[in-house]
Amino acid sequence: MQMPEPDQAVIDRRETICRDLRKLVAADCVIDSVEGRRAYDADGLSAYRQLPLAVVLPETVQQIAAVMKYCHGEGIKVVPRGSGTSLSGGALPLADAVLVGLGKFNRILAVDYTNRCVVAQPGVTNLAITHAVQADGFYYAPDPSSQIACSVGGNVAENSGGVHCLKYGLTTNNLLGIELVTIDGEILRLGGKHLDAGDYDLMGVMTGSEGLLGIVSEVTLRILQKPATQRALLVGFDDTGSAAKAVGDVIGAGIIPAGMEMMDGLAINAAEDFANAGYPRGAAALLIIELDGPEVEVNTLIDRVAKIMDSAGASSLKVSNSEEERNLFWAGRKSAFPAVGRISPDYLCMDGTIPRRRLPDMMVRMASLSQKYGLRVANVFHAGDGNLHPLILFDANQPGELQRAENFGADILRACVEMGGVLTGEHGVGVEKRDLMGIQFTEEDMKQQQRLKCAFDADHLLNPGKMFPHLHRCAELGRLHVHKGKMPFPDLPRF
Amino acid sequence: MINVTGLDDAAAVIADAMEQQQHLGVQAMATKAALGRDADYDDVINVSAFSGIIDYQPDELILTLRAGTPMHEVESTLASSNQMLAFEVPDLHKILASQSAGTIGGVLATNASGPRRLTAGAARDYLLGFDAISGRGERFKSGGKVMKNVTGYDLSKLICGSYGTLAIVDEVTLKTLPKPETKISLLFPCDDLSAAVARIAGIFASPHEPNAAAILPQAIAAKAGIDVAGAILAIIRLEGIDVSVADRAAHLLSAHKEGVKIDSDASTALWQQIRDVDLLADADGDIWKLSCAPASAPAIIATLFDHFDLQFFADWAGGLLWLAGPSGAEFGTAMRSALAANGNGHAQLIRDSGNSKNVIAPLQPLSSAHYALHKRVKAAFDPRSVLNFGRMHDGI
Repeated sequence: MQMPEPDQAVIDRRETICRDLRKLVAADCVIDSVEGRRAYDADGLSAYRQLPLAVVLPETVQQIAAVMKYCHGEGIKVVPRGSGTSLSGGALPLADAVLVGLGKFNRILAVDYTNRCVVAQPGVTNLAITHAVQADGFYYAPDPSSQIACSVGGNVAENSGGVHCLKYGLTTNNLLGIELVTIDGEILRLGGKHLDAGDYDLMGVMTGSEGLLGIVSEVTLRILQKPATQRALLVGFDDTGSAAKAVGDVIGAGIIPAGMEMMDGLAINAAEDFANAGYPRGAAALLIIELDGPEVEVNTLIDRVAKIMDSAGASSLKVSNSEEERNLFWAGRKSAFPAVGRISPDYLCMDGTIPRRRLPDMMVRMASLSQKYGLRVANVFHAGDGNLHPLILFDANQPGELQRAENFGADILRACVEMGGVLTGEHGVGVEKRDLMGIQFTEEDMKQQQRLKCAFDADHLLNPGKMFPHLHRCAELGRLHVHKGKMPFPDLPRF
Repeated sequence: MINVTGLDDAAAVIADAMEQQQHLGVQAMATKAALGRDADYDDVINVSAFSGIIDYQPDELILTLRAGTPMHEVESTLASSNQMLAFEVPDLHKILASQSAGTIGGVLATNASGPRRLTAGAARDYLLGFDAISGRGERFKSGGKVMKNVTGYDLSKLICGSYGTLAIVDEVTLKTLPKPETKISLLFPCDDLSAAVARIAGIFASPHEPNAAAILPQAIAAKAGIDVAGAILAIIRLEGIDVSVADRAAHLLSAHKEGVKIDSDASTALWQQIRDVDLLADADGDIWKLSCAPASAPAIIATLFDHFDLQFFADWAGGLLWLAGPSGAEFGTAMRSALAANGNGHAQLIRDSGNSKNVIAPLQPLSSAHYALHKRVKAAFDPRSVLNFGRMHDGI
């Protein structure tokens, strides 16, 4: 992975920069030592590591603004970081960039039941939002699998999803307001406790912008009343095509489950070895379908879904009759990643989305790619919304295997786009999928996205080297087409 | 009027306009022409020809169509598979004196959402991707045709509610949802607006899953043919499968003895009148739409009642106020001050019955920092201000 060439002049000024930063934040909030910086040298995509120039841990929004203003004035790059759980390298440091960590922003500022929202600082973990309101029967719906550790500010940056987003949406659908610090140190509030703002939806654009547009310094999140009941079905199939069709049949019948997960044979057995969840070992595909809501509704829909599964040719079917049993159904799925980690020294977790009807084609494609690369692949899917998580098994100690696994992964993502899908459903582009963006987007598509970036950060100082394979100078991006052989109004100022 | 049939045509028209430094209006059925500022255009691009369903996959919950497709066609297509747009598209033709609900493109351009917006999200939450021509005359796409996608910036959000000031959109892909089997409503008489907001908040703190909540003063409720005693009515809607709706209604009615149930057909008719603001269609003066924190509604309304003769009702649990009051700048200015004093929000002039647009900005004015950023975003898409220039804000 080629990162932008570090600016040696900035690196040479490291000591001065650290001294300057100590004037803006408490002295112990600038981490200067190699050992101290080492703790920040990677995020959840740990194959890539880089020591940051310096780490700053501001404690107030004014300090974030001061640090941004300083870096902007000095032409120093900035990499924002929440909890560092990104799976796509969104918080990967740069050698010539100040890493701004939001770890000290760890307070919930307000719980507001009349307006059904929580106001929190960006470093608060996702699960802590639910913990703050669950005694009163509320919860925060987006539930990325890293929810115990990932921060809500990071959730905004990555537009995080989770297993329940088929029914409850991603972060963007559950976010009411943010406070934002721009690269020039301006503090802006977007949205709030009201629903629609009526201006450009810049909060919507910030969500999922992977730290390239600004630093989120406060969030207002929508909370929901916890459903009265949750029950799940565990359904085995002898072939993945029937399982995929069964998922479509459920939605076609007008039922939107809270979650609909699918696993293939290799993942089923790995998970069963790990968790003893009672999964059908011989099945080619397993569905976990969860319904939530009022008890009478859940019970009725469970029956309807069970009938649909029967008609679709299910080879086994269990319905949870207690919370323990429901949790057991999930235990295997939730431990799928560590379970696969036990059957292989290393694995790569991919994240693409396809139209669900193409799932059988995708399974065939993956099997043939698996043969081509000589590597096994285990599959877990968020089947309801077509989001795939193929886990490519490899051994990093075998020369060339990592590269083979990466090539295998890239081919899967190419197939996703070819089948009408996208490169990433929830993990983000980051550095991981940056060089694949051209598969999904034309150069013109990406230039238009980068023009938007220029409206926020004209000098490309915020998190450069992420998301876009080619960096274009904003002046170049702003140039207009030469129409009919000449540039119209050559004397007019241009943006 | 320049009629275009596709994005390539539109690109050529935009290129010419850039060269001649023209400002162009963009319209299809023009049912929302009254919204936003009255801006002067050198000419108008008509995109009515961008019409038709391209692909509909009900069991994928995906609908791809052209932006100029009329809403009635969108709705009949979805109804054929018993599906809907969950954000509940309002049809404001009665208060806007237009012919219909217009096109899906107009709905998205104004981010128009109805009562279910409270629980299901706005138009912007259902646009998954689009193809467009920027004000630079260049073709680009964003998003995709699948539900779960975080690849690149989410320009779908930006395009929704941008009033055609950034790009001309052709193909759009939307998320659809199944229609509920049953809908009913429950009415609760309350003493005042504060009590109604609190009653609704209490119901939302129960596990009975209301999906819409409105508040109608008695005189407004009477216009909808509702004859229930009480100064003001809190109304919630329950949707879902029959047994679930019946069960939840029974629970709520037993906890709130004074509640009154409104059955399916009457409930549908009631919410249509709330959604379309029919209940203020016969009111004199201007009509404003005010988006605020639900708990702020009582203070805002109390402040306004002190100074103005007005009619109002609330949707979104109190978070959306529809107000009819005197023409001119004073009413809107007072609303914006009341908002500023009560947690902020957005006040928009929807029906101008006189000359109000000339004396007050129809959309909530932006702070200088927000304005500067908006202007840069506009320039990123439309540097020569070709498209709907000045429709939202002066200079944007």
